[in-house]
Amino acid sequence: MAQVPVRPVRGGLPAFLVLAGSGIAGGVLLASCSAPANGTATPREPEVIYDTTCGYCHGHNVGPIIRGRQLPAETIEFFVRNGSGAMPAFKPTEISPQELSALSEWISTSKADSTEHGQ
Amino acid sequence: MNGFSRRDMLRAGAVGSAVMASQALASPLNGTRMLPAEMDRDVFAAAIKELRSIVGNDWVFADAQSTVSYNKSFIPDPEGLYLPSGAVAPASVEEVQAILKVANKYKLPMWPVSTGKNMGYGMATPASNGQMVLDLKRMNRIIEVDPDLGTALVEPGVTYQDMHDYLEKHNLPFWLDVPTVGPIVSMLGNTLERGVGYTPYGDHFMFQCGMEVVLPDGSILKTGMGSVKNSTTWQAFKWGYGPYLDGLFTQSNFGIVTKLGMWLMPKPPVYKPFMVRHPDADDIGKITDTIRPFRMNNLIPNGVLIMGAAYQLAMFHRREEFWSEEGSIPDDVVKKAAAKNGLGMWNTYFALYGTDEIIAATEPIIRGAFEASGGEVLTEEDMGDSPWFHHHATLMRGGMSLEEIGIVRWRGNGGGMVAFAPVAPAKGEEPKAQTVLAKEIMGKYNFDYAPAYAVGGRELHHIIFLMFDKSDPEQEKRAAQCMEEMITRFGEKGWCAYRSSISTMDLVADQYGDTNRQVNARLKRTLDPNNIIAPGKQGIG
Repeated sequence: MAQVPVRPVRGGLPAFLVLAGSGIAGGVLLASCSAPANGTATPREPEVIYDTTCGYCHGHNVGPIIRGRQLPAETIEFFVRNGSGAMPAFKPTEISPQELSALSEWISTSKADSTEHGQ
Repeated sequence: MNGFSRRDMLRAGAVGSAVMASQALASPLNGTRMLPAEMDRDVFAAAIKELRSIVGNDWVFADAQSTVSYNKSFIPDPEGLYLPSGAVAPASVEEVQAILKVANKYKLPMWPVSTGKNMGYGMATPASNGQMVLDLKRMNRIIEVDPDLGTALVEPGVTYQDMHDYLEKHNLPFWLDVPTVGPIVSMLGNTLERGVGYTPYGDHFMFQCGMEVVLPDGSILKTGMGSVKNSTTWQAFKWGYGPYLDGLFTQSNFGIVTKLGMWLMPKPPVYKPFMVRHPDADDIGKITDTIRPFRMNNLIPNGVLIMGAAYQLAMFHRREEFWSEEGSIPDDVVKKAAAKNGLGMWNTYFALYGTDEIIAATEPIIRGAFEASGGEVLTEEDMGDSPWFHHHATLMRGGMSLEEIGIVRWRGNGGGMVAFAPVAPAKGEEPKAQTVLAKEIMGKYNFDYAPAYAVGGRELHHIIFLMFDKSDPEQEKRAAQCMEEMITRFGEKGWCAYRSSISTMDLVADQYGDTNRQVNARLKRTLDPNNIIAPGKQGIG
């Protein structure tokens, strides 16, 4: 269960000076689409979905390790859509059918990650 | 229930759900459906047909298989009272308006969710059977981030992870404030539920600024400065002119919020997290009295968490590792297990933000006060690779984590959990008495008391997670009874919840009194005469 502890964020100027001196689009509003799962945008890569969703629990103290176990892709899809016990269900609006298909295949065939730990 | 139990419905939905995408076109009249009360099946089918013409076939889920993801929740529902009829997922404000027109025409109730991850309170499930989930996740644009003002305008589907990634990508020097399950939760949804986090921006509604709301008749309201022509201050000034309306659309069903403004915290040059370890269960009074002045004068600026040992253990362990009896886990067993893991019976997490000089001046004052209360003040150096310290240090800088989901499997693999969150004033005797009462009631039902006190300015949210095995029908029923008794008996003492599970919304609303309920009802009738938005939410409609 050992973790790499967080380090204090150090260095730099007080926040207001950082902001004033950053030159970041001074006064210009930024606009963007976040990565959608709505079927109209480019599907996210399986690794991205794993890192930003699955990997927070699986192999990270909470959920069982699922990489490197050759779990059947259909089983993975089933668990994602239905949830299981403490695992929430993920809807097609969160992980599109196309993304889920690629994600399940990727998890099923991925190698074990030695940095993961779980129970 | 049409003769089917909730378990039957869930099982039916589970079969073949992996191919649900291809099933989205199945007829809503195939098989058993959970329909709104008194709605004819043909009327439902006609409404579905019109909804499909608005959002497309792929984004209406109206059969058992494709609806299965919307049914999953952790809360006890032994009688199957909280299942949706289906779901519809618009991609724009215009589609939301068109959907509301259909809902009004057919009197089809809509239960709006942003991401549907309201973990301890019902996930995406509605407050009564047959409501259709209005799934806003596809509306997921980060519309604006102002790098000078540190403000953001987002749609419902934007998660804290999305915003985190956005800030990183654009190298913007701001921190988020996250609830405990930030990566998969909507910023807008959590703020509307008046959720909390753990940085100095921990009271999310306090740091909200401006909304766009689609009202039940399809008209669009922009709150605060948003309605002013050519406004440049929508996300800069909260209050606008005249009555402040934003509050009407939090924990309510008066409209559908489609855009939300938020303030972002400037990233501090230095951040230092602490844990204070107290050894005994009744130390909660002393801890509260120690924190109160520092929260009032802002010497401790962040949303402090006082974590009970059982809660902490449940995050990364299972009950059977420590206790195999049916009855509640005794304090001495918890205390021993906690000590073995470097934890006390109460573990208080706070942080300091600013410069080295500011922290050097502040730390000794706070350290001295906690030590005088019998606590050990510990830093990252002291705690080493403790996963608990790491977790809370992550939260107090607005980092991403889902580790607290671990508590849901404490009691078994069935995944059961529901939160009761009464408010206490930040005066030691009251949380102390609340802890005693909660333990007594939970002990009567053989559940373990696993608390977290989230400390605001002058009050504490006493968040009690009732953990049970949902695969055990008897335990599920007992969990529902225990929750009802806790709400009732706390209410008798004047301690009411700030938020509640969908299964207890009426019960809690009653505790706020008749006049309060009547005012809400009058507002509801005025704004939503057909009662089509989330009937029953917070006991309204």
